[in-house]
This record gives sequence, structure tokens and C-alpha cells, in this order.
Amino acid sequence: MENANSSEGSSDLKVVHRMTVIKRIIHWTLFLSIINQIITGMYIAYPFLIFGVTPTQADSPVSGVLNSGETYQAFIMTWMREFHFLGAVLIDVSFFGWLYLAFFSTKEPLYKSFLPFGNKINEMYKMLKHYFTLKNKPKTGKYQDPLNAIIFTFFHILLLLQMATGFQMYVASFTGTSAVGAWWPTMMHICTDWTLLVFGGLTGVTLTHLFITWLIIIFIFYHIYIEIWRSILWKEGDILIPFGGYKYSRDNLKEDESD
Amino acid sequence: MRKGNEKDKSAKGKEIKNNDDDSFCSDEHNNSKNDPFCSDEHNNSKNDPFCSDEHNNRIDDTAFKWDPLRNIADDPDEVLNIVDSHLTSLEKEHFNGQKDIDENFDKVFSASSVSRREFIQWTALLTSALMLPTIFAPRVARAANILTRTPFIWLDMSDCMGNTEAFLRTAHPTPAEIILNYVSVDYMESIMVPAGYQAEARRDETIKKYKGKYILVVEGAIPTKMNGKFLTIGAKGKTGLEITKATAKNAGVIIAVGNCASYGGIPAAYPNPTGSVGLSSVTNRQVINIPACPANPVNLVGTLVEYILVGKAPMLDSLGRPLWAYSGRLHDNCYRRGHFEAGEYVKQWGDIGAKKQYCLYMMGCKGPFTWNNCTVVQYNQDMSFPMRAGHGCIGCSEPAFWDRMTPFEKPNLDAKIFIPGIEATADEFGVALFGAAGVGVAAHAIYTGVKRRKNNNQDKNKNKDNKDNNKSKDEDNKTK
Ligand code: HEM
Ligand code: HEM
Ligand code: SF4
Repeated sequence: MENANSSEGSSDLKVVHRMTVIKRIIHWTLFLSIINQIITGMYIAYPFLIFGVTPTQADSPVSGVLNSGETYQAFIMTWMREFHFLGAVLIDVSFFGWLYLAFFSTKEPLYKSFLPFGNKINEMYKMLKHYFTLKNKPKTGKYQDPLNAIIFTFFHILLLLQMATGFQMYVASFTGTSAVGAWWPTMMHICTDWTLLVFGGLTGVTLTHLFITWLIIIFIFYHIYIEIWRSILWKEGDILIPFGGYKYSRDNLKEDESD
Repeated sequence: MRKGNEKDKSAKGKEIKNNDDDSFCSDEHNNSKNDPFCSDEHNNSKNDPFCSDEHNNRIDDTAFKWDPLRNIADDPDEVLNIVDSHLTSLEKEHFNGQKDIDENFDKVFSASSVSRREFIQWTALLTSALMLPTIFAPRVARAANILTRTPFIWLDMSDCMGNTEAFLRTAHPTPAEIILNYVSVDYMESIMVPAGYQAEARRDETIKKYKGKYILVVEGAIPTKMNGKFLTIGAKGKTGLEITKATAKNAGVIIAVGNCASYGGIPAAYPNPTGSVGLSSVTNRQVINIPACPANPVNLVGTLVEYILVGKAPMLDSLGRPLWAYSGRLHDNCYRRGHFEAGEYVKQWGDIGAKKQYCLYMMGCKGPFTWNNCTVVQYNQDMSFPMRAGHGCIGCSEPAFWDRMTPFEKPNLDAKIFIPGIEATADEFGVALFGAAGVGVAAHAIYTGVKRRKNNNQDKNKNKDNKDNNKSKDEDNKTK
């Protein structure tokens, strides 16, 4: 890889703007809330691990962790569900923020990474090839590279599915109306009832929700790995994007490709 | 749950007046065989069976808003009037005067030693179960009385007769069960006297005589493969499919009782060799589903009573179940819910948690996935239901519960997920994928390290003249 670049002679390092403040806020909100969702969600699915400790159940291996005394003081499941729903709200807002910015961001909308389609698909393959040969690094500029763009889009589809299945489970406890009026459960029914048909009843929906959680966990590890990999191999500071909004580029970018 | 029928109410007042004036049906109408009342198409408008053709044209089920879950109607007096006149006309039809009416109940209950007081308590229970205001309690009593005289056909298809058993064989029957025992059953294989050809003749006769008026209750799934030959019934060997279709065609109201009749239940469990389906799949008429295994007698009687009261089906949810009974999950009204929220779970049958009646979530309770009113109206002489007895819910009022709610005694996350070729729980599958991805990432990382070192070495060997290439680049970085 280094030798591939070396042919270009002395590369000059350019600063490229990649993430606006709003995008960075969305990124870290998503990060925090998803970690929260995974922890609370796993507890909801499998509450064996931590008990609201009553003396009789102190044999739980981790009973010391959340030892909160009497039943009325514990309410661990309540808190887990409460935080799961709070995280869900953050995810919803972030998701729709992302969706809006993917099209209407004035600086770096995501759709630019897909157009023109043929070229970008080609570039995606080049990037994949680069991952496995370490040679011929494709240029990275102002917009996300197509491979990342596609993977991030896929990830957001997972989030959308998670929202649909999650809200279907959520609306299950409503009986026709709510504190804010009947429109709220009605809207959730309209938006998410299809999951019942697709995944086979509420149990299927729950299992799907759980399974997608695993896909998201896999995505997180892949994502962090590949960003670190890039930072080490390209020496362009990719990891800095969600912190400062900038990365460097050695690719002699033309004017319209950089900032 | 879902939106009520928001129908336009203009001009409804007039229509109703008409109904009131010439009560629901006069005897002449019923007897006059020449002009067939209630032809099939009209029956499809699913409701009032007690009326002739012309009546059917005028009454439509949007005539007044009947929505017990939120508010009865815009004009409560009007509803009471309609219900009263409806009941009066039915009483006129089924009884010979007030004395007969009074005696009927005494007879029914004295046979089972239920006191008048118990009966009144029960009407109060049923009224509130139906989510009706107390002013309906006496009307519920009248409707229950009428119910015992309404023609009634009970069909058994592929099933275990569990619903029949549950209704007929209780040690101390509640009024609900008594009423079911005393409805004027014209055809019910398990209790009728005639047998063989006679029995079938009786059924055909009822269908003809009470065309469009009789209540049809079906229990059990209907096999459809091989033209339904997996189930043949009676001396003539007719298939269940034929019988249900023929009987449903002219029924006044059709009720599928139990999970099998509603959604196919256990006969329809995967891989469903007989192609069993629920009743609503074989008829295009409206079917009221009362699922559960067995269905709760209160729900069946309540639905019948509501039908008698207003002459039409109660509001149904998207799975065809009456909303008054099936609008809440067991989990929402479970008396163990506090322990669920507190994170106190039974971990093993018979452990201290079980003795303290902790939540059964981890023992496979499917209460969070199941809509029914077991936790409210209860079973067994209205005194118990699965969680009270110490076992989790198995989700028997949901479609395909045998496939979707199993394993019954393990939490949902231990269920196998349905991906062709894969038999694993979501967690097993997820962990496996995660492991595979981890191995892939690790392999890629090692590969990258090795390859990079090799490349660097090659660099050094090949380009000895500018071997400081890398270094100078790093310096470049620093200076920038
Ligand atoms: C739950 C964890 C995380 C999720 C779900 C996540 C998700 C995402 C998404 C969706 C993007 C694309 C942003 C966009 O299109 O606007 C992104 C970009 C990025 N993330 Fe994360 N992220 C997570 C954690 C992290 C962490 C822990 C780091 C690094 C320490 C990181 C570093 C980056 C970088 C460097 C980019 C920019 C990639 C580029 O523009 O080429 N992420 N992340
Ligand atoms: C990244 C996002 C999310 C993750 C990783 C996640 C994870 C999980 C997990 C693992 C469970 C347990 C499933 C089981 O019982 O087997 C769960 C339950 C649940 N989740 Fe999520 N979830 C996410 C987003 C959401 C969203 C957006 C909602 C929307 C309201 C939501 C609502 C729920 C509900 C209602 C439950 C069931 C709680 C209960 O049974 O009391 N989740 N989640
Ligand atoms: S026993 Fe079942 S229905 Fe009752 S609270 Fe626990 S999970 Fe819910």
C-alpha cells in the first residue's frame, strides 16, 4: 500500500471536512443509546443475571451488583424497560435526523456517495479489493466512500427494523387509547402491524428484535475495527472524524473532492 | 385497539324509528315460506337474523354506534330504547307471555341449584366483563333468558372436545355454564339424543326451519386437504368442510370457539398434514372467534348475550376476537406483574420464588404475548387461571400457538428461530455469527500485519536507493 502511494511522489496532506457538528452529535447519541439498548435489552430478554434481591434469592451469582433490598425498592425490570424506552426515543430522533441529513445536508449528504451509481459500485469493489490486497487504495475525499456508505445504510435499515419491531412490542400494552390520545397507539399500529405478519406473531417479532440486536453488535465491532484499520494503514486520521469532524487526505484531491 | 367504526350518523334516527315501529319480525314473516326471508346475500351483511328480506334492507349495522370500549353511543337513551325493543320482540317470539319468561329461569336454575342471588351476581359480573354500564345488568339477565330458547347448533370438527368438556362438566357450574347447558341445543353431537341418520335429519331440519336465525358454534379445526376427507362425520360420511360450509351459510351468527376453530390450533400445527384451517378460512361470512384452549365460558356466553342485546357482533379486533374480552394482555392484568417489574422470578419449579408466587417469565410464561381476559374473569368456577395455579401462560388464544409459543416452559428467547436450514435460538445463531465475524476480523487483522511487513521488507530490498521513503513520509506528516 505504501509502495502504491509512493509512486505519487511527495504526497501533500490535505484537511478534509467529513462530519458536521449535528452529524457528530447524532453519531455519539446513537453510540450511547445503542450501548444502552443492548444492555437493557439483554436484561429484558434474560433477567436471570441480576435479581432484585430478596433474601431468598441471594444465591444469584451476581446478587451483589444491584442489591436493592425489598421488592418495593427494587423494580429493576421497570428501570431496565424505562431506560430501554428512553434510549428508543433517542434512537428514533437520531434516525430521522440521519435520514434527513442523508438527503438534505448542505455539506456532505450521503446520497452523493451513491451517485453516479455505476461508478460508485465499481469504487466499492475497489475498496473491498483494497481491504484484502492492501494495494491500490481508492481515493477518499469529501464524501464517504461507497463501501462505508452502503454498510452504514444497511445499518440504518437494521435500526429501522429494530424500531418497527420494538414499537410493535411497545404498543402491545396499549388498549386503544393512551394518555396523549388514541392517535398514538393508532399510529404505532399503522406503522408496525406488518411486523406481526412478516415475523409470525408477537413472539416472532420479539425474536427478530433479539436477533437484530446481534447483527448490530457485530456491526459495532466491525465498524470500530475497520476505522482503526484505516487509521493505521492510511495514516489519514480517519478515527478523528466523529470527534473533530476532519480527516486528512494524501490523495491529491481535486478542488471539488476536498473542502 | 383499532379504530371504532366511524360511520356517518346522518339519518340514522329515522331508520331506527322504522325498526321500532314494526318490531323485528312478525310470525307471518317467519312462516311464510314463499318469500324466503334472509336470502344468502343478505345474510352476508352478517347481522340481524330476526328479520325478513325487507327488514334486512332497512336495518344495517351502522344504524347506531355500538362501541362498549369507549362510549356506548352518542345518545344513550336511544341505545337503551333499541336494546329494549329488541329484547321485547325476541321475548315475544320465544316465550308465551310473562309467566313463561319468569318460569323459564327458575326451571333452569333450580335444576342446578343456583340461587337467584348468585344469578344476579353473575349478571353484574358479565355486564362489567362486557364493559357495559350497570344499567345493562337487568337487560343482560333478560338476554341470558332469551338465549336459553334460541335455536342453536354446535358442530365438532377436528378437536379434542375440550371446549365441550369445559362447558358441560364442571363440578359447580356457574350460570354461564348452566345457560350453555340449557340453550335449546338442536344439534350437539356430545349431548343430543338422536343418533345416526336421525341426528343429521335434525340438523338439516333446524337449518331449514330457523334459516338465518340459529346460532352456530363451531369447535375444532377444519381439514381442507384431500377435499377435507381427513374428517368425515356421521352416517353419510360427509366431510367436515361440507358440513361447516352448509351450516354456516344460513346461520344467524357464527362463532368459532376454541383455538382450533378460530385459527386451526393444534391440528394445524406445523407441518399440518391435514391442511387444517380455522372456520373463518372456509366461509366468507363474518366469524366471531373465541379462542383459548379451552375457551372461557364467560366469553362465549358474553358474546352470545351481546348478540342477543343488539342483534349484531360485538366489536372485533384484527384477529376476529371480541374486543371486550381480548383487548388486554394477560401480562397487563396479572397479579404477579409486580414481581415481574421487581425482577423477581421463579427460577426453577418449586423453588422459594415459586412458593412466593414470583413472576413466571423465566419459566416460559407467554402472558406478555397473549391477549385474553383469563386474569380478569378467570376459569374453573371463576376462581383460577394458569398463573394463579403456578404455571405460566402458554399463549393458547393466539394464532399458531403450538408453533409460536413453544417451548412452553422456557422463555421466548429459547425458542428456535425459523430460518430454513438453521435450527438454533436467536442467541445461539447470533453468538455463532458474532464468533464467525470475530474470527474473520482477527484473520484480516493478522493478514494485514503480515502482508504489511512483507511489503515493507520488499520495499527495503527493491528500492534500496530510496529506502527512507517511509521515514521521509512520516516526517512529512509531522511537519504538516
Ligand atoms: C454503537 C456504536 C457505533 C455506531 C452505531 C456507529 C455508527 C456510525 C455511523 C452510522 C456512521 C456513519 C455516519 C454518517 O453516515 O453520518 C459512523 C461513522 C463513523 N464512526 Fe461510528 N458508530 C459507532 C461507534 C463508533 C466508535 C466507538 C468510533 C471510534 C472510536 C466510531 C468511529 C466512526 C468514524 C471514524 C466514522 C466516520 C467514517 C467515515 O465517515 O468514513 N464509531 N458511525
Ligand atoms: C439498537 C436498538 C435496540 C436494541 C439493540 C434493542 C434490544 C432489545 C432486546 C435484546 C430486547 C429483549 C428481547 C427479548 O425479550 O427477547 C428488547 C426488548 C424490547 N425493545 Fe428493544 N432494542 C432496540 C431498540 C428498540 C426500540 C427503538 C424500541 C421502540 C420502542 C424498542 C422496544 C423494545 C420493547 C418494547 C421491548 C420489550 C420489552 C418488554 O418485553 O418489556 N427497542 N430490545
Ligand atoms: S407471570 Fe406471566 S403474565 Fe404474569 S407478570 Fe409474569 S410474565 Fe407477566
